Amino acid sequence: MSDEARIERLAQALEAILADPGAPRPSADPELTELLRIAHDLRGLPRPAFKAQLGADLLRRATMTTTTGKATGETIESVTAYLAVRPAVELIEFVKQAFGAQELRRTSGSGGGVHAEVRIGDSTVMIGGGGAWGGTPTPTGLHLYVPDADLTYGRALGAGAESLYAPVDQPYGDREAGVRDLAGNHWYIATHRSGGHVPMGLGTVTPFLHPRGAPRLIDFLKQAFAAEEVETHRGPEGAIAHAKIRLGSSIIEMGEAHGEWRPMPTMFYLYVDDVDAWYRRALAAGAVSMESPALQPYGERRAAVRDAFDNQWYLAEPASSGSGTR
Amino acid sequence: MNPRLFAKLYEQNFDRVYAFVARRVGHRGEAEDLTAEVFHHALANLGRFEWRGTPFAAWLLQIARNALADRWQRAARERGELSSETGEPGIHAEADRRAMLAQLVGRLPADQQRVIRERFVEQKSIREIARDLSRTEGAVKQLQFRALESLRAHLRDLHE
Repeated sequence: MSDEARIERLAQALEAILADPGAPRPSADPELTELLRIAHDLRGLPRPAFKAQLGADLLRRATMTTTTGKATGETIESVTAYLAVRPAVELIEFVKQAFGAQELRRTSGSGGGVHAEVRIGDSTVMIGGGGAWGGTPTPTGLHLYVPDADLTYGRALGAGAESLYAPVDQPYGDREAGVRDLAGNHWYIATHRSGGHVPMGLGTVTPFLHPRGAPRLIDFLKQAFAAEEVETHRGPEGAIAHAKIRLGSSIIEMGEAHGEWRPMPTMFYLYVDDVDAWYRRALAAGAVSMESPALQPYGERRAAVRDAFDNQWYLAEPASSGSGTR
Repeated sequence: MNPRLFAKLYEQNFDRVYAFVARRVGHRGEAEDLTAEVFHHALANLGRFEWRGTPFAAWLLQIARNALADRWQRAARERGELSSETGEPGIHAEADRRAMLAQLVGRLPADQQRVIRERFVEQKSIREIARDLSRTEGAVKQLQFRALESLRAHLRDLHE
């Protein structure tokens, strides 16, 4: 029997047992019968949301009742977008030229790859990759507030970016343009029109996600990282057009994927007060482990998880103490 | 107790406790209530556990047994019957198998895990899952098939 036929036969048999758990199961094919038995047992597994909720409740209670030391697993110190790209060195040059970024640090690996941190306005962005690095690039969407969007847009094009859209006055009061840089990141370059050029509560650079199923991502962020919904605007059909979500003292923006605004799974680097507790909490919320907590040679304890939207969350704290600050 | 340590114990024992309880009660809601009761009781009485030094899993299952017995006695009293815990043969093996299955699901690739959870735990249709994942129904059926095949292979490995 071909694979397609087996897949279809299994799907039909599963449909029958899910519709009526008491229905007789076929026994002519022992392999199929075994798969159906596993499927039957799977129906009794716990709901991940229940496990996550109970875990979070218990952790909160354990933290409250502990009499030694300060509470841990409570604080996210910072959330930074990590742009992992092949032309990492070129991207560092681009953000310097186009956005006046300052290079805070750069380390090079033996294979010619780099890790760098750059400061744009009041925000930090991490850039890594290049050389022999063979990982999957994670270009992302970034909302950048500048004093003069038209001017910065022009500089970005001059530094080699492609236009996504020319400066336009948006109905929500921003002057805004879009560019794609040489590594594929989208920069939404904006000037806020009332008050300062940056809206209240935002920094110069804010990661902007376009997930498919934004409400589910928001739920995940609440469960995994104690996120708060700061504001949410819905379109005429109910989809989330724009949401601001707070993680610790940082904000992530998002809008439901639509048209050309497609998901760009993003890598985030979070400094937290207790890597193990946040890692466990993220797994309980349905994330999948990429790295268990472990000491890194550069002196951080680090873990990593991937959410159902393929965003990667690196959790780190300085190895020598229980509270990370950066 | 250090919350971090309790979190680890929760992670290590949740599946076993849930499977143990779920095998003995009829409804998901009841299994969830009892599981929560067991862990909250354990957290509140950790001092006693630490003194006695019994294995943590065995101690949790004893709390679960007591909680189940209480519930049955209460239900029996309400119905005016005598209660007894039925020692159904094979019930432990069955709970172990389910706990193991929960652990194995956690080791599947992310997309397969998601299909398994949505299809069997949340009982969504292939069409709903395909819409959630932005994949075709054929692709979801294939993920479902691969995931079950992989679980079967792992279960066989464990039994050999």
